[in-house]
Amino acid sequence: MFLAMVRQSFLRGRRRKALAVATIILAASLITALMNLSIGVGDKMAKEMKSYGANITVAPNSESISLDIDGVDFNPLKGQVFLEERDLPKIKDIFWHNNIIGFAPFLKVAAEVAGADGPVPLLGTRFDVPLLLSEDEEFRVGVRAINPYWQVRGRWPEDEDRAGVLAGAELARRLRLDVGSRIAVRMPGAERLVTVNGILHTGGPEESFLVAPLPLVQELASLPGKIQNVSVSALTVPEDRLSRRTRNGSDALDALEYDLWYCTAYVSSIAHQIEEAIPNSTVRPIWQVAASEGTVIKKLQLLMLVVTVAVFIASGLGISSLMITTIMERSREIGLMKALGASEAEVHLLFLAESVVVGGVGGLLGCAGGAALSQVIGLSIFGSTVAFNPVAVPVGVAVSVLIALAGSLMPARLISRLHPAEVLHGRR
Amino acid sequence: MGGDKTGVMTNRRMFVRILAASLKERRSRVSIAFFSIMIGASVITALSCVHFDVSAKMSRELRAYGANVFIGPKDPSVARVLDARVVAEALSLLPAKNMVGASPYLYGVVRLDLGSAVLAGVDFSGLRRLSPYWQVDGRWIVVDFDDRSCMIGRALAKRMELKAGDSVTVTKNETGFHRKLRIKGVVETGQAEDERIFVNLALAGRILGQPGKVNHAMASVVSEGADIGAAAAGIGARFPGLEARPIRRISYSEGKILDKIKGLMVLIALIVLMVTTLCVMTTLIAIVAERTREIGLMKAIGADDRGVAVQFLSEALVIALAGIAAGLAAGFGLAQVLGQAVFGSRIAFRAEVLPVTIVLSLFAALIAVALPLKMAVRVVPAQVLKEE
Repeated sequence: MFLAMVRQSFLRGRRRKALAVATIILAASLITALMNLSIGVGDKMAKEMKSYGANITVAPNSESISLDIDGVDFNPLKGQVFLEERDLPKIKDIFWHNNIIGFAPFLKVAAEVAGADGPVPLLGTRFDVPLLLSEDEEFRVGVRAINPYWQVRGRWPEDEDRAGVLAGAELARRLRLDVGSRIAVRMPGAERLVTVNGILHTGGPEESFLVAPLPLVQELASLPGKIQNVSVSALTVPEDRLSRRTRNGSDALDALEYDLWYCTAYVSSIAHQIEEAIPNSTVRPIWQVAASEGTVIKKLQLLMLVVTVAVFIASGLGISSLMITTIMERSREIGLMKALGASEAEVHLLFLAESVVVGGVGGLLGCAGGAALSQVIGLSIFGSTVAFNPVAVPVGVAVSVLIALAGSLMPARLISRLHPAEVLHGRR
Repeated sequence: MGGDKTGVMTNRRMFVRILAASLKERRSRVSIAFFSIMIGASVITALSCVHFDVSAKMSRELRAYGANVFIGPKDPSVARVLDARVVAEALSLLPAKNMVGASPYLYGVVRLDLGSAVLAGVDFSGLRRLSPYWQVDGRWIVVDFDDRSCMIGRALAKRMELKAGDSVTVTKNETGFHRKLRIKGVVETGQAEDERIFVNLALAGRILGQPGKVNHAMASVVSEGADIGAAAAGIGARFPGLEARPIRRISYSEGKILDKIKGLMVLIALIVLMVTTLCVMTTLIAIVAERTREIGLMKAIGADDRGVAVQFLSEALVIALAGIAAGLAAGFGLAQVLGQAVFGSRIAFRAEVLPVTIVLSLFAALIAVALPLKMAVRVVPAQVLKEE
């Protein structure tokens, strides 16, 4: 009998039901999309934040203190310690290797350049070279990936070409260089004639450098296979209490905490793993990037969460008002049921069963819609699809059923106030 | 009916009477319509308030990344130092309400107990706001005239076997400076600062024999609502020896990220608008649809289609306007809650919010009424009245 009644009530107010289902579908799809985005936005934004440059720096484990002011070194090159370039692929072997987005090696020396009245910093690096890894994934090493804010007028030099360089904008102004100029670069015991392929704008100290392919600089300085430091760009999770306790070394943690810290993608634990992987290295987070990233992303996630809650409330209220009108409309029907001996609980049950069905159907359809919607948003803003989180499906359905139920709770109180005699007679 | 003396009911008075009666008689329906419009309007208001403010707020959050303006000598090969007064004047040209923090820098090489290091003179109170990402073990130097304390980079501290609270002797032979300084804090940034020792600018001037001089200055300026590039160009034009430029790495990234956040907010706001509009519409459609009998009666006693439509639309308009007014107030309150929860600060009310909310909500309400009305107007009085 009950099922028959539910079926009957469904067949009767079909247009109204369609409206309710449509509203729930929209609300559910929106909430699913927002949830998906809230979960995904951290990763997406973290990727965007990479435009601030590297967040980890690898330096040789040395005893000497650099006396470098604005790119001018007051320390002669003697007694410097170097890292080996051949150790670099080990960065991609650490526990969190998937979080390493890019890295670039650097070797800075002072060179004589014809026309300059002092030594000119000559920076050797990789621009964009593929790194062959055991799993055949594509990974490219170089400054173009980790420093997207480097702007070149002209063209980037070839990595294997030992005759093309970039001139920093400020140096170019001083020496009156332009794209295509040829300059002689001298170092003790070596000299090369190079062509300026491009003028480099970074807004930083590199503007007074000559930036050259690494092999050229290694050859000039007779330091084959040596590098001075590496900048690494890694995806990290924001710091918290646990990771802050490791500031003065990881000995501050007990075994369990250490495991937890090691297996979380904190910037400090990724740095620690790189340090383990590369011999004689000191690896430090660049806090300017690492510390700020977390705060900004946290804010953004909070914003998304709050908006999701607001949507939830708004759609819940919308559905609620829809349900109220439905019940008012059917007050005579309810009066008749009561007159025929239906108890209040049974009437409630009928309406709740209806809203559960409406919510469930709307929720399922809404989840599909939400998945599509979040992809659209992801594509239009971040230019990449958002990973679909399966957890959003049950949550989405549950949420829409909840919305429908919450929407029916208030009108259910109206039901109990209806007197059969009154409504059947036509007075409301 | 006792109110009219002539006994003749003009159309207009009838209209007003029906309007008032229907609002009064159908109180529960009207309040539902009113509340649904109010909820819709308040969500729209809150979201658009947040939307208009989000870039300003996020821009301030992004200042966590530190300096985005550099002021230095135009031609470092000619003069490496500038007058501190000139630099301070140049800094004052940057928009004051957007200034987060600024500090001048003066560098030189000094001898410590166990070797040489780069010494930097800074303005600590400005630097603390300029570089909030400094990880400090111990304490910051807070007093500008403190010439007995220093802060020291972590790598340098390790190399010289020092920690916060120790003393370190700073020597500069050229100026004959030789004094013990207390280490207030150990700094870690992962960059050049880790190998430097920091003191107040005045003390650095004394140590290095360059009183009143600085090498360059950095400033952190909120970019939203201020054209940093133009301000920087203005400084270069006013002080011929100076060059001011935005720090590309920071400003470029900030622009990119703000664009993304704005895009995200626009899309979300749009979708939320759609949903709230739909909710309001469904409710109103349901309310109008059940009044077909009333329409039949109106027509039976001589109302034409236009009269019926005007009657219903004006009813909807009264309810909608009331709902929107309430929604604007509630929505602004909601926006404050959001602002406090997310950014810990108030959200400014902007005039742009008003037209957005009013136009959208009215549009939703009128569409919602017009749809069922079109159907209702077509009713044949006899049919609906017979059902009684």
